[in-house]
Amino acid sequence: MTKKAYRGLFVCAVLGALLVRTVRLDLRPMHHDEANQALKFGDLLERGEYRYDPNDHHGPSLYYLTLPLARVLAGRSLAATSETMLRLVPALFGAGLLLLFLLFAGGLSAEARVSAAFLAAVSPVLTYYSRFYIQEILLVFFLAGLIAAGWKYLQTRSGWWAAAAGFAVGMMYATKETSVILFGALAAAAVIDRVLRPKTTSARPWNRPAVLLHLVIFAAAAFVPAWLLFTSFLKNPNGLGDSVLALGTYIRRAGEPGLHSEPWWYYIRTLLYTRFGHGPVWSEAFIVALAIAGSIFAFGSEPGKDGHPRLVRFLFFFTVLTGAVYAVIPYKTPWNVLPFYLGLVLLAGNGAGVLWRTGRFLVVKVIILAVMLPGILNLVRQEYRANVTDYANPTNPYVYAQTSLDFMKLVKAVEAIAAGHPEHERMLIKVVAPPDETWPLPWYLRRFTRVGYWTDIAQAGDLRDAPVVIASVAFNAEAGRALDGGYQSAFYGLRPEVVLSLFARQDLWDGYVKSRAAESPARRGR
Amino acid sequence: MKRAFCSIAIALFGLALVLPASGTGAQDQDKEILKIQLPKPMFVGTPKNIRTANLEPITGKPRGPFLVPVGTVLLSAGKPVTASDKEPVIGELSFITDGKKSGEDGYYVELGPGLQWVQIDLGKPSPLEAIVVWHYHSQARVYRDVVVQVSDDKDFIAGVTTLYNNDHDNTSGLGIGKDKEYIETYEGKLVDAKGAKARYVRLYSAGNTSNDMNHYVEVEVYGLPAK
Repeated sequence: MTKKAYRGLFVCAVLGALLVRTVRLDLRPMHHDEANQALKFGDLLERGEYRYDPNDHHGPSLYYLTLPLARVLAGRSLAATSETMLRLVPALFGAGLLLLFLLFAGGLSAEARVSAAFLAAVSPVLTYYSRFYIQEILLVFFLAGLIAAGWKYLQTRSGWWAAAAGFAVGMMYATKETSVILFGALAAAAVIDRVLRPKTTSARPWNRPAVLLHLVIFAAAAFVPAWLLFTSFLKNPNGLGDSVLALGTYIRRAGEPGLHSEPWWYYIRTLLYTRFGHGPVWSEAFIVALAIAGSIFAFGSEPGKDGHPRLVRFLFFFTVLTGAVYAVIPYKTPWNVLPFYLGLVLLAGNGAGVLWRTGRFLVVKVIILAVMLPGILNLVRQEYRANVTDYANPTNPYVYAQTSLDFMKLVKAVEAIAAGHPEHERMLIKVVAPPDETWPLPWYLRRFTRVGYWTDIAQAGDLRDAPVVIASVAFNAEAGRALDGGYQSAFYGLRPEVVLSLFARQDLWDGYVKSRAAESPARRGR
Repeated sequence: MKRAFCSIAIALFGLALVLPASGTGAQDQDKEILKIQLPKPMFVGTPKNIRTANLEPITGKPRGPFLVPVGTVLLSAGKPVTASDKEPVIGELSFITDGKKSGEDGYYVELGPGLQWVQIDLGKPSPLEAIVVWHYHSQARVYRDVVVQVSDDKDFIAGVTTLYNNDHDNTSGLGIGKDKEYIETYEGKLVDAKGAKARYVRLYSAGNTSNDMNHYVEVEVYGLPAK
């Protein structure tokens, strides 16, 4: 591949990745977890407050990395932020991930890097979670940064790359404390590679004092960002210590998965073949097949134009080990596939690259392309479905406890009712629901200044004080009795199986119905 | 002179603005706005992801007995069904009167999005006592704008009696209904037909809280056999 073709194709992949990650970021209703993260970020944005929570929500990097963008676009008001603005952060990191592939030069061929970039650009799982305001894509970005910086360090023995690797470690930890699993897998992969690698005399000798210095630089570069972020820039001195203690909580949760228990083959099944009910078939088997091909080619060949087998072998061991560890952990959610999916994409890129280079004649290249084209097109089709048409459809394997589209009708109704209330956004709203049936209401009601949340109807006082009451189904009958007529009720779906009831004072409801009657029938549809 | 007139006018206007305010201030001098701290939402981790069927009722007690005249029978079994959606997305219209009420896949018919209706032809006008509808009971969901009508006119233009209507905002265009929305359960929704005499039964719905589609597992129409 010529340098010109390489550059052109890589730019196309990055631009394509940016496009599919940033267009219509407002389409999908905020997920429960996204709304949690958004409100946590809101405290930082509005009051400069962040305190690490060792029980949940992972590390603080997401919030601090969102801050500059939010300050520019929304000032200091969470109400002025939007889904698009928040999701732009993971979207940019998701597209930036491809740029890190450039650093694998010398380890992966130009064809392999370009192929990996194209596969990552259109991968359904990578694109879906790049449009999701949670930590996972940031973790994958810094993981790729760590592997790339480590590879560059091995090639150059430069202190700068040691610092870059250290920084990536610090940011990984500040993103998710559970990154210690990945550190373990990376170390184990390096040891296995070292043990299995044939001894050669051509290896570059190590300069011990320099290596020690680089180790110090690496450690300092890892410690400083984690320390600053977990301690909220020294405002919460115990933050870093709490993050270490939190590992106990996460280990317990991993062993007692409760609501999120899945069998060991969950991730394999998700990637290879998923079909729920009458929904379409989802499969990223094409990437898995290419990754297997890329791994086979890694063994036995010498460094050359096809890349360096050492890097590919390392990626192979890391991917298998990480996949095995995540398979063994009973706690499973679909976004946890991402760390070892990164390895799969890089190995798949290597597989595609080697296949491409194997065909020396044009006819063979055309045949290889013809064989691969349906696989790529299938990925593109699934990416479109995942992000544009089926982004909240439970038959999409990456849709997990997603807020249903019906919930947005509840939000629209509350906003319309408030518009008819003399106090508008100061209208009192009472929400009575358990915490897991409350989110993402706090995000969508963030512009309302008088919203109270109770988990028990007895503590909510006289419900009739509020022109609008939102209750979980468990409190529906009780709320209806407490409101003693004079209120219109309607049900709205929050998630599959979870329904909320909206109670609106009759005069406000009537006004809302009148305002809807003025709308065109196409826009109405409650 | 003109200047003095303007000054007096401005002074009077100012006084008019200040007086009511100062009057209120005097009344409420010893009061202040009650500041109530409302509870914040509790942060909680990822909720349960549900894709599986749940055949248990979500709330409420089992429906109590419903009394009907002696001799009341199931009139709708195997009767022909027509619908606004001629080509259901899933299943057959005949599922609606086949007597099978399981909540699993393969037992329900799915009609397209938006307002749709299904209609059962009982063959002859009969005094109707109860209509029971199961939309989709393998998941807790609420069907929107449920309207049940009966008539002897197959086009439902003349002699239409509305037995149930929970369309609170008239999105269906069939009039605002006062009946309550309800969550689907395995018991189905029983509509009191109050002895209305009719040959055709038509049921409307307009999507549900999980998606925009319309589903029917079964509809049972009970009444006295036509004489």
